[in-house]
Amino acid sequence: MAYLTQPDYVKYVCSCGQLKPITSLYFCRHCLKIRCGFCICHEVDSHYCANCLENMPSSEARLKKNRCSSCFDCPSCFHTLSTRATLAQPRQPVADAAGGDTKVENKQPKKMYYLSCFNCRWTSRDVGIPDQPVASGGWPERTNPFTTRFNQLLDYYKAIAQQEKQEKLERERKKFAIRGKYLTLTDKTGLTGAMARNIAGLPSSESGSSATIANFTPSQASSEVEELPEDIFTKDVNLKLSTSMAQRLASPAWQPISVSRLHPLAKLLSVKRSQRCRACDHNLTKPEYNPGSIKFKIELLAYYHVPEVKIISFESAKPGAKSALLLKLTNPTGHEMRMQLLRPEDLPPDDKEEPKSLDKSLEKSLNLEKDTSLYQWMQRRPVLSGPCTVNAPSTELTLAQRDDAAEYDDDAHHDAGGIILWRKSNKLALRLEVETSESATPGTEANATLALQYSYRNTVPPAANAQPHRDHTLYTVVTLQLGLVAG
Amino acid sequence: MELQDTYYNKSEYVETASGNKVSRQTVLCGSQNIVLHGKVIVQSDAIIRGDLANVKTGRFCIISKGSVIRPPFKKFSKGVAFFPLQMGDHVFVGENTVVNAAVVGSYVYIGKNVVIGRRCVLKDCCMIEDNSVLPAETVVPSFARYSGSPARLITTLPEATPDLMTEFTKSYYQHFLPTTVN
Repeated sequence: MAYLTQPDYVKYVCSCGQLKPITSLYFCRHCLKIRCGFCICHEVDSHYCANCLENMPSSEARLKKNRCSSCFDCPSCFHTLSTRATLAQPRQPVADAAGGDTKVENKQPKKMYYLSCFNCRWTSRDVGIPDQPVASGGWPERTNPFTTRFNQLLDYYKAIAQQEKQEKLERERKKFAIRGKYLTLTDKTGLTGAMARNIAGLPSSESGSSATIANFTPSQASSEVEELPEDIFTKDVNLKLSTSMAQRLASPAWQPISVSRLHPLAKLLSVKRSQRCRACDHNLTKPEYNPGSIKFKIELLAYYHVPEVKIISFESAKPGAKSALLLKLTNPTGHEMRMQLLRPEDLPPDDKEEPKSLDKSLEKSLNLEKDTSLYQWMQRRPVLSGPCTVNAPSTELTLAQRDDAAEYDDDAHHDAGGIILWRKSNKLALRLEVETSESATPGTEANATLALQYSYRNTVPPAANAQPHRDHTLYTVVTLQLGLVAG
Repeated sequence: MELQDTYYNKSEYVETASGNKVSRQTVLCGSQNIVLHGKVIVQSDAIIRGDLANVKTGRFCIISKGSVIRPPFKKFSKGVAFFPLQMGDHVFVGENTVVNAAVVGSYVYIGKNVVIGRRCVLKDCCMIEDNSVLPAETVVPSFARYSGSPARLITTLPEATPDLMTEFTKSYYQHFLPTTVN
């Protein structure tokens, strides 16, 4: 939890080059690589409303524009609206009321509901929305004045997309059929067929022009603009009655100018997402379907597989001097782990095979085609140089497996003398030395980099034809923030 | 960074058989209605209003200095009624925070100087940052991090939050030590 309330003192280097704390990293058991939110595939698993915690199938969510049908946000402060009940006396004719009390008693007061914001006290009565006889749902929906035009445009672009898809297919077929040496303009520049024809002034494709595209009337810009009212500069402005920019943009279809036009906003749905490794297409996380559940079916987090490095304390670094650093190492796995601290320079060169496969799958998943600039940018190397270097001991450390019952055991074993300060079940504390370079300027960040070599036992059952190779030696690089260089 | 030790005066705290550490400088109204499920720390000047309705906490909860745990009420046509307040395991309540929630799930972190309005529901694994105000009847979903006044969702929490929170409250309990007399 210290990760949530403190700055990230220890950052790991992801296989894509990003520096992240261990809590936002994943570990793919199939590629044995660290992944982060930047280099994995995010998929929407299910839609749910964060307020009523009700699931909504994705088709229904699309139909309802990803909004909950029973929960609303305040249009004024965007907090969730609550339903309040009042007792309303049914309206009675004047003659009846004058007639006698007997009749009044027959009529039960009816429960009526309205929406109210407990934060800013906005109510649905403020804007004249009539109270509802049912607690949830049944609120009047406003229709957009431009709905028809909207749908027209939507249909038009859908038809165009369909047509372009068709053309692409056709082109591909042609490419295979006649592999001539003459490239067409469209192939070479990547322009879509429709655009190329447009440029050439040809009528859009002779075969695919469907009725919707033919019947579509493009918007006409007019030079005549409605005049401003004459008193616009002279009338006093009452800012209490006009809406803020955020309030206007919260309902883009209406963009109310005056507060009397504010309308409850249907609550946006949240999603549960699963994450997938791009290199091997295996799931890294998969949440349970139930929106209230915090459990995961698959949860391959770095926090459960990669040794955790935590700073216990450190002396402030002085240029050209040595300072002490206490680190805590934790083995989160269920197997014994052998570990060795290395200098980042001593790391064996990474095998170059992996990025290629990642490249390929990236192309597939992102549909990047020939543009790999994004990938190259992703593949950047992080800046790992700091003024401090950790003197790594050459001894191999052994960390016991994680044992939940061990917390009830007695106190830590203290080792005198050696670099190991104490050991306790799957944790150990190390006393290390940090050297700061002479040239470090006081006041700059004292960062140090450390590489870890650790043994990892893969518990994934191997494929039938694969060798039963279970023990791996893996490497990871960690950066430590050791405050500022002292003067 | 590892948590630092916090020390308390041994004569000030009462330690029960189940490991609860409760300061004597607290106001526990209606103590027969307060259930602390073990290894709970209630620090000085905290107020728990068990006289209004039942208050139940899970294991490894930390109720910091000056915080108020108060069961919520609801207005009816005939007066008001108080509802019990339930708290899950591994909940941290920061200093000078007022909690009026109906339900606080497990693995919840509530910062300092926070006001949790009446009948809020805090689901498992959520976090309310320091100096936030959660208006009445708000539902905070799982893995959400709320901040501001009114508190709004700003980001999500990592998937390992239950383990992080467990480790945090356990190590807080382990680092909450009596001062040794020299």
